[in-house]
Amino acid sequence: MATSGKDAAAASPHPSPLAHHFQSLAKQTHALRLGMWLFLATEILLFGALFVGYGVYRNLFHEGFAAASHHLDKILGTVDTYVLITSSFTMAMASHWARERKYQLATVALIVTILFGLGFLVIHSYEYYRDVMEGALPGRYFDVPEITATGASMFYTLYYLMTGLHSIHVIIGVSVLGVLAVKTYRGHYNEEYDVPLEMGGMYWHLVDLIWIFLFPLLYLI
Amino acid sequence: MATSTEDKAHVQHASPVRYLICWGLLAVLTGVTFALSNVEMGSWALTIAMLIAVAKATVVSLFFMHLWDHRGANRLVFVVSILFVLVLMALTIVDSNTRFPLSLPPH
Repeated sequence: MATSGKDAAAASPHPSPLAHHFQSLAKQTHALRLGMWLFLATEILLFGALFVGYGVYRNLFHEGFAAASHHLDKILGTVDTYVLITSSFTMAMASHWARERKYQLATVALIVTILFGLGFLVIHSYEYYRDVMEGALPGRYFDVPEITATGASMFYTLYYLMTGLHSIHVIIGVSVLGVLAVKTYRGHYNEEYDVPLEMGGMYWHLVDLIWIFLFPLLYLI
Repeated sequence: MATSTEDKAHVQHASPVRYLICWGLLAVLTGVTFALSNVEMGSWALTIAMLIAVAKATVVSLFFMHLWDHRGANRLVFVVSILFVLVLMALTIVDSNTRFPLSLPPH
């Protein structure tokens, strides 16, 4: 019983990650994965409500949304997208290398992922700065003379809410990855046990997943 | 004991080639959706952009998030959460589209 946990403990200098109420490490991993998927489901529902709000108002104010959307810089939005999908790739590689016990490579991959995350935040801050300078503010503060169609202010309300909540997720993701980078460098994970790294990665991929939908809805159409 | 679960716990060690192909696919699809945004397609623009987004999301969830290798319950949770968002979206838009026009915000 619990042989895989003991093997992992014997093979690594760290104490066994197996909690006493689980029969084996494999069962613990399955339980933790399911728990993580349930958490990600609540995240999807959280963003889902905002997507529904977007759908309803886009349907009502088609012209206002189109005009406001064209006002955003879609080149910067595309750069944001490339930054996030590349960071997802480096995150997957970090997980891969940690399982092969190539800890230095894995740590470098995690640091690159963090830098991409911070890069995303820098680009997005610049976009916010540009929007604010042009008067593209939410609700009644909206003041862009060349956009006269009704509903543009509602577009910007949703734009700030959706990208803002997404950026908060990026900040949380970067913090989690920072902790994981330190623990990976110290060799806490291996082919038997890498649950925290896997779950940090799943969170990061979810952030990417949400941006994949935000990008076309806000910038392109 | 419990051999089937023990075996399946570690099947998801995918090769870097798989990740590289996924990254390439995502990069190409991003390029395609950006290029298509400059083409005037009228009401098809939303449908096509969403189809491309769904394709990209499928790549991320199946391979980067390992749903391809995970067991049934995890897939069920993920699919059901998306299903509920779609139900919420569909019913809410049907509601606002079938209301008496004067009860909607003015244009």
